[in-house]
Amino acid sequence: MKDIFTDFYNTILGFFRQTEKKEENAKDVACNRLRVVLMQDRTNLTPELLQRMRQELIELLSKYVEMDKEALELNFEQEGNQMALMLSIPVLRAKEESEIEEAEEKEFLEDETDEKTLSEEKSDEEIEDETADCDEASEEENSEENSSEEDESVEVDAEDKEKAEK
Amino acid sequence: MPLCIEPVQSQSKEIKGETMSGRVIVITSGKGGVGKTTTNANIGTALARAGKKVVMIDTDLGLRNLDLLLGLENRIVYTIVDVVEERCKLKQALVKDKKNPNLCLLAAAQTRDKTAVTEEQLKNICEELKKDFDFILVDCPAGIEQGFQNAVAGASEAIVVTTPEMSAVRDADRIIGLLEAREEIKSYKLLLNRVRPNLIKSNDMMSVDDVVEILSADLIGIIPEDTGIITSTNKGEPIVNDEKSLAGQAYNNVARRIIGEDVPFLNLEEDNSVLGKVKKFFSGLMGKEK
Ligand SMILES: Nc1ncnc2c1ncn2[C@@H]1O[C@H](COP(=O)(O)OP(=O)(O)O)[C@@H](O)[C@H]1O
Ligand SMILES: [Mg+2]
Repeated sequence: MKDIFTDFYNTILGFFRQTEKKEENAKDVACNRLRVVLMQDRTNLTPELLQRMRQELIELLSKYVEMDKEALELNFEQEGNQMALMLSIPVLRAKEESEIEEAEEKEFLEDETDEKTLSEEKSDEEIEDETADCDEASEEENSEENSSEEDESVEVDAEDKEKAEK
Repeated sequence: MPLCIEPVQSQSKEIKGETMSGRVIVITSGKGGVGKTTTNANIGTALARAGKKVVMIDTDLGLRNLDLLLGLENRIVYTIVDVVEERCKLKQALVKDKKNPNLCLLAAAQTRDKTAVTEEQLKNICEELKKDFDFILVDCPAGIEQGFQNAVAGASEAIVVTTPEMSAVRDADRIIGLLEAREEIKSYKLLLNRVRPNLIKSNDMMSVDDVVEILSADLIGIIPEDTGIITSTNKGEPIVNDEKSLAGQAYNNVARRIIGEDVPFLNLEEDNSVLGKVKKFFSGLMGKEK
């Protein structure tokens, strides 16, 4: 009897609840978290590596398009039995051919000076250290931190280059 | 003293005059407590009820349970370790079910650990049993270590048991990866246990479709959460023997699918209890489907 009562109560409650707009529900959160975790399990790609990949893609693509770096999304998605790497880039504008050529020239010059600036780049050891840090802290937090940090660093780099040009 | 009499000659053996070759199916999950042993006991019993000759092997050395679920704990004299250490013949160690003469159990040793049996030995046991049984169901321990490796050693098919919870699904994914890497495993199917339609409806639990999509595996069964499973375990009587039970029906359907029948999945949403009807009445009054 008590059961019937609670059930009736739930029915009424459910009626009102349905009229409210719900935020992301527990099920969707679970599905999304699982997809990310399984992608990492399956590919052995750590959040750190994913971040590096993201970074390099940004650098490469910036040559051709001006984009909203913050909104760039790099995700694994499942399509049947296949894992697909989905890259979504909000493009602000495509660059002019002259700009691309300019960038290429700059690259060429940079390549020549690369040997001198090699010490500025991260050594493998440093990268490994970062990975170890990553394991300690929660993955989500870390990837967020990394992304904001590195995004900024790209912009700083770009500014530096501009200044250098002038 | 042998407890299991020589299995009855199978029909195919009599008709074709050749030895039969049973299907060895390992029931595995990665995570513990998701229902491997329950699934083993119920599918085994259901297959035997359908007239198949079935033997179940409990490979969970040190943590044996399958005997309890079948109510056979008092009949065990020899275990799988006695067989590999040659203290008895394989057939002597097979314990016959109380009700169904088609059903046998090869029990795990309770006092030994996973190293007491090797992959090779399990493979040989399966090969031997294939000659006399239609189905050899192997109950796998939790984990992905030696116990798992042993259990899958003789199998060519697998049933991966999982529940709609993140950790269970993640572990199932791991297991699927390991199964795919094994050439001997020709096919594997997913069995989703402890499904709670109410939680799925309210979007608090992953749905069957979600899990199937995430794992991209073929589904062989959906078993609802059912308190009857607890009482049936207490009685040592698999729930498939209770025809009214929804979980029992669901397990029966799994057995039929294994045999090759095309059985539609149960609609777990449909609530045929008195309470369910009351619910329908009220939601009808309010003009909406709950
Ligand atoms: N569908 C179900 N509904 C309710 N309880 C269940 C269900 N399936 C399994 N259980 C319970 O879950 C527990 C673990 O089941 P078990 O079969 O021993 O898991 P495993 O062999 O994977 O460790 C047992 O107490 C069992 O009664
Ligand atoms: Mg078990």
